[in-house]
Amino acid sequence: MSSSQSMLSRRDLIKRFGAAAVAGTGLFGFSNQAWSSKSAHIVIVGGGIGGAATAKYLRLAHGKVRITLVEPNPEYTFCPGSNEVFNGHETLENLTFNYDTMRQRYGVNVIQDKAVAIDYAKRQLRLGSGENVSYDKLVVSTGPDFIYDAVEGYSAAHAAGDLPHAWKAGAQTAKLKAQLDAMPQGGVFVMSSPDGAYRCPPAPYERVSMIADQLSRTNPTAKLIILDSKNRYTFQEHYEHYWTERYGFGTENEVISWVAEKDGGRAVKLDARNKTLITASGEKIKADVINIIPPHKASKFAIDAGLAQGQRWVDFEAKTFKSLVDPNVYVIGDMVNAPMSKTGMIASNQAKVVVESIVADLEGREPGTPFIANNCVAIISDDYGMTIADTHRFAGDRYLVQQRISEVTDNPYVRHIRADLAKNWQRTFRKEIFH
Amino acid sequence: MKIKNQLLKTALVACLALPGLVIAAEAKLSDAEVNEINAQFPMPSGKMLGDSCAACHGTLGAEFNEGMPPLAGMDRQHFIDLMKAFRQGDFPTIVMHDVAYVYTDAEIEAMADYFASLPAEQWPAPNITESAFLNPDGTIKQIGGAQ
Ligand SMILES: Cc1cc2nc3c(=O)[nH]c(=O)nc-3n(C[C@H](O)[C@H](O)[C@H](O)COP(=O)(O)OP(=O)(O)OC[C@H]3O[C@@H](n4cnc5c(N)ncnc54)[C@H](O)[C@@H]3O)c2cc1C
Repeated sequence: MSSSQSMLSRRDLIKRFGAAAVAGTGLFGFSNQAWSSKSAHIVIVGGGIGGAATAKYLRLAHGKVRITLVEPNPEYTFCPGSNEVFNGHETLENLTFNYDTMRQRYGVNVIQDKAVAIDYAKRQLRLGSGENVSYDKLVVSTGPDFIYDAVEGYSAAHAAGDLPHAWKAGAQTAKLKAQLDAMPQGGVFVMSSPDGAYRCPPAPYERVSMIADQLSRTNPTAKLIILDSKNRYTFQEHYEHYWTERYGFGTENEVISWVAEKDGGRAVKLDARNKTLITASGEKIKADVINIIPPHKASKFAIDAGLAQGQRWVDFEAKTFKSLVDPNVYVIGDMVNAPMSKTGMIASNQAKVVVESIVADLEGREPGTPFIANNCVAIISDDYGMTIADTHRFAGDRYLVQQRISEVTDNPYVRHIRADLAKNWQRTFRKEIFH
Repeated sequence: MKIKNQLLKTALVACLALPGLVIAAEAKLSDAEVNEINAQFPMPSGKMLGDSCAACHGTLGAEFNEGMPPLAGMDRQHFIDLMKAFRQGDFPTIVMHDVAYVYTDAEIEAMADYFASLPAEQWPAPNITESAFLNPDGTIKQIGGAQ
């Protein structure tokens, strides 16, 4: 730094570069990516799949913009693959990434803090530390939050304590795994599966399948019950087909039971002290391990910052994913009200649409037409996988969706290779986002 | 199977649709419908289409160590021939026939051009410092660029 620069007060620096530049280290160390006060400053809130993909693809598209990523955690643990922790086929370690590559390879200034508010008029993001970061464009991908009290008596405190939802992979996943491993022989596991839009539609059933696989070896007389708040779910025919084969699904001795909403499956109340879930029809189900997956809504930050405009989800302009609240703010991922599944692949591909829109704005041209694919591979076991292929074609004010789901098959080769494909997908996807 | 799929789609519409953002009721848009949409809006670029394949085929299609094949540096005509064969369901595949059926000829050709322009080299792991994708100082090159 030149002496004239070093004479600037910290306040001045914050004004000129945003708190990001002050807090960061080695910002000027990149020969070809030196940040100048003239280049646009893109600030990203949330270092999950949507946010990390935005940072990476923005740098791939543009060498000069300054990129700041605000994320409270030093590491990110992928949800995709986290259900396989329950049968010991995956480790949380393997699913966890730090932000070193973002910093070093992509020249992203990563601030470990929480965003708390947006000053739209001043184009400033307020952080938990109290500092304000100025932005030219803000991208928000803070994921979902949970409507805990949809099951009366359940709370965020319970989730962080003895009743993990484990719907954000990490410590809660490990806790639930430990509880399952410690379950008494012949014990009962009960899951409450939500209605409404939630992240990864097949994941509750995938989770139950992974748990059943584990228990088939360690606790073969245990029972698993899914209390569902809906009547249909993704890949249902695949799950039922496999559960029938392996777990006597639909018989008196079934290991896995599924109770649809119309049959009284909705869990409405938790009696935590007695480890009991109470259903809409008043039935009390006592269990050794309870896993409540609450219904979702947009993240607290998106709601507090007004992006959700008092609604449950965040609306956006179809072509660019610009917020309807302010065109300098982009919104993507699980928190948006899109006619798309809430998946990591969708969040990552929405990120690429945002990058195109930002770069087009910088270059003073119309952004290109978006195209968003979601190819989801899920598993029921190591030797049974299935796929769903969605494409979302932009059509002005909306997206047109085409969808194909793989057929149920008894061909062991096809089943197996689809399961291998799922593992393949998870590995490649993790690298796509964080390498 | 068909009826169940239809039910599923209806359920999705019910929970996700909002005015102005409506899911098509049919599972497949006809060629005429796709052409009509593509006549109204510029076609998505080869990069926009191609980058949406990255979750399975790697960043810029440069994943060479997995079952799903790399696309970076692929011969243009080979890509076109394969995608058209997938689209027509010429031979059984694990998933590509369910992916490729949505693309037009022009879209397939644009993706072919994009992937053919990229280096046929593994996307560098974090500990790799020498790569066609990296500058000498370890930062990323703007290969593939903007749209
Ligand atoms: C069990 C399970 C299995 C799944 N399997 C798959 C799968 O196979 N394939 C697939 O595509 N998807 C899968 N998903 C879904 C996928 O994980 C999500 O769709 C994806 O993570 C959405 O990305 P996002 O960026 O919206 O949110 P996230 O990835 O959750 O990232 C949000 C980030 O924002 C941060 N944040 C929150 N608040 C603030 C704040 N105030 N300030 C700063 N940062 C903040 C959080 O710490 C977090 O890092 C699965 C999900 C689950 C639960």
